[in-house]
Amino acid sequence: MAQHQEARAVTPAPPAPRLRVASLNKTFGDNRVLTDVRLEVAPGELHALVGQNGSGKSTVAKILTGIYTPDPGASVEIDGRALDLPVLPQESRAHGMAVVHQSLGLVDEFSVLENMRVGRLRGSRFTRRIDWERERQEAEAVFARIGRRVPLHAPVGSLLEEDRATVAIARALQDATPGTGLIVFDESTRALSRRSLEHFFAILDEIVATGTSVLMITHRLEEVVGAADRVTILRDGRSVVSGREVGDMTEAELTSLILGRNLGDLDAREHLELGPDTPSIAVDGVTGLAVRDVSFTVRRGEIVGLTGLGGSGYDDLPYLLAGASRAEAGAVVLPSGRLALAGLDSVAAIDAGIALVPEGREHSGLAMHESVAENIAFAQTARAGSPLAPVSRANELALVGEWFDKLGVVPRKPHALVNTYSGGNQQKVFIAKWLATDPTFLLLHEPTQAVDVGARHTIVEAIHAMAETGLHVLVAGSDENELALLCDRVLVFEEGRIARELAGPCSPDDIVEAIYAGGSRAQLRPRGHGAGAPRPSGAASEGHA
Amino acid sequence: MTDTSTTETPRGADVAAAAATHAENTTKRALPSWLTGGSGVARYAVIIVWALMIALYGALLPDTFLNAGTFATILGSQQALVFLAAALLCTIIVGEFVDMSLASNFGLAAILVPVLTVNHGWNVWLAAVAAVVAATAVGVLNAWLVVKVGVNTIVVTLGMGTFITGIALWSSNLVPVAGLPREFSQIALYKILGLPVSFYLGLILMLAFAYLLAFTPLGRNMRFVGANREVSRLAGVPVTRIRFLAFVAGGAIAGVGGVLTAAASGGYDPSVSHSYLLPMFAATFLGTAILQPGRFNPLGTLIAVYFLATGVLGLQLLGGTSWVSSVFYGGVLVIAVTISTVLSRRAR
Repeated sequence: MAQHQEARAVTPAPPAPRLRVASLNKTFGDNRVLTDVRLEVAPGELHALVGQNGSGKSTVAKILTGIYTPDPGASVEIDGRALDLPVLPQESRAHGMAVVHQSLGLVDEFSVLENMRVGRLRGSRFTRRIDWERERQEAEAVFARIGRRVPLHAPVGSLLEEDRATVAIARALQDATPGTGLIVFDESTRALSRRSLEHFFAILDEIVATGTSVLMITHRLEEVVGAADRVTILRDGRSVVSGREVGDMTEAELTSLILGRNLGDLDAREHLELGPDTPSIAVDGVTGLAVRDVSFTVRRGEIVGLTGLGGSGYDDLPYLLAGASRAEAGAVVLPSGRLALAGLDSVAAIDAGIALVPEGREHSGLAMHESVAENIAFAQTARAGSPLAPVSRANELALVGEWFDKLGVVPRKPHALVNTYSGGNQQKVFIAKWLATDPTFLLLHEPTQAVDVGARHTIVEAIHAMAETGLHVLVAGSDENELALLCDRVLVFEEGRIARELAGPCSPDDIVEAIYAGGSRAQLRPRGHGAGAPRPSGAASEGHA
Repeated sequence: MTDTSTTETPRGADVAAAAATHAENTTKRALPSWLTGGSGVARYAVIIVWALMIALYGALLPDTFLNAGTFATILGSQQALVFLAAALLCTIIVGEFVDMSLASNFGLAAILVPVLTVNHGWNVWLAAVAAVVAATAVGVLNAWLVVKVGVNTIVVTLGMGTFITGIALWSSNLVPVAGLPREFSQIALYKILGLPVSFYLGLILMLAFAYLLAFTPLGRNMRFVGANREVSRLAGVPVTRIRFLAFVAGGAIAGVGGVLTAAASGGYDPSVSHSYLLPMFAATFLGTAILQPGRFNPLGTLIAVYFLATGVLGLQLLGGTSWVSSVFYGGVLVIAVTISTVLSRRAR
């Protein structure tokens, strides 16, 4: 420290980085998950930390929040002051570092005020009762700082999505003195829609402009190229890029840095030529949940996308068609016959050749504490004709081997528990489970949510390949990039009905434009204005790939 | 075994596997891979302790402990616990945490047989059937309240258990009832190879349960319902029916166990039902540390029952009195749940 200050006296060196992580190593047993990771976040910048699943970025996040202890020799400094390791959340908070967890970390049942102040509530001097008036003033002051108004007594669950995001940001910001501090967002944006995302980054831009720093740990490449000032990239536990200026970097360049190789061409698929006599599945007059009397057809080999704003009903349709939610009216006309939806249950739908891959593999996709093989075979064994006839292990392993091949699941461990697999492999197992039922009508909801760019590539290719074998595919999704890659045609929902149809190949911009009916897709955060603190270009450096 | 780094569970297959094997690697690097791989040692740890315990008691009590009678006592005296633990597993496997009413339900069936036969003059076989039907009906009532109405499992079964304990005491006027016909006791006591037939019935029950869970679609559906209801529902599993039937089966198995217990002793004391509650939990949770670490499994539970019986009997032969079983069962329950928690965290 003393030397550092001497040096500063001689030449006006750039200020100490807001966050400096150096020589970060982490081993579990004989397995080294982080090797000499370096991360520097400058004051007043938006810094992104990216990498594939398993690259070590969640381990870094867990070290920053004190869940893991790094190997000896590591240093974590905030504004030049070294923290004791393992990181104590109270201490890092006192230094101005706040962490926002996945999916914002809010409790829906509690009010905005309670969510804001939990962990900071103070009792009054004698009665030890919470002084809610003081808490309210504290919370209001924070919202005033970011210039947003949110009803403090409303339950968080009743708020609009973008207001929820505001609450999470405000909560993280409240401990930082204006102009200092660091907010770490650990995959916080994965549940946000496009519009909320723009709102979210608008607030971040203002915060960063005051000199507070932001570290985004993220999967969405767009957040890096569209919003971050600098980026640090982890690959196989090493920081292969440390603090490079994002500038005009494209998503393709970023992808190859993340993977260490170029992906094969994964542009939108070729336009599908379908004759008028191609057999098709008709969705006829479906009503239920938010969906109102929707009819359309899906031709053999075609991938049709469904999208729209939250609540428009696009994401209810797959569940209605698969008998997972109750439909009031409507039918599906399959090659095998007409299937009425009212009163349809999952068993009848699966038997008719309809397979639903729902959103959220942990909630409704896989039994995480059961084996990979049992999960892949589950859609078959669950409906076995004779519940007491033993399951054939040999058939099961053959089935699993086949899908490991088709979807490129590595490592091949049929008897491992699913939760020991990476997120991308889990998603492959999840999709394999439903493709293994040999469906004619495949319904997917957010099929590549929260998987890294490599696994997304494999999954998209697998869905394309399945369509070519003669499936009819329906994809409900909110991610315009995913839909543009996957779909031949996109149906845009509004108030439960199909409002617009995008035929033929369409770009992400086309899709966003259709969803917001004319509102175009803005860059998440236009850079190059209002940056508060000077950006230390000297701090940027690159590791060796 | 308790290296701190094993409590940290990073993401990623290799990392998790490495963390899981780390404890063995650092302490016993020379062991062959089949022992160090996964939870190889942990799987048999309780069985090894069991063997050591037998050796220790044998050394301390060469005359009283090491004879055929001791082992016949251990194997022939635990039927009540085997049936109760199997009943408890029914609901635990499908993810309904604990059925607190099972011990009382068992007691209801056990007291109904002598009450109906001795006090009311029923045919003993008819009384036995009625007792099983009554216990099953309690299971149906639990199932209806928990699964169909959606009331909290612990509240329903704790209340129901206390309620039927009261009913059992009322039906017997608060006193033990004995005097069942001798030929009826043969359903529990008939000797095969020196052991009572009820031992074999318990063995068959647990083996069949283990087979059901490991190899059949029904057993797999039960495990998946326990692991994740929504996943199971979307795959076409009749989730509600399976949860409902688990409570009914639990009641029926407890009822059969109660009837066998009444038959073995020729009667029943309704005030002892509650003393089965804790051993039942101790055996079932200790079972999660045996054979399939971190999982509730019938064979592990069966071994746990006899492990506990061995420990208690040895301490009693060493001069311990009635306090021994409380200390042993209570201590083992806490240790077993701790081990099971650590093991499942490592498996994650």
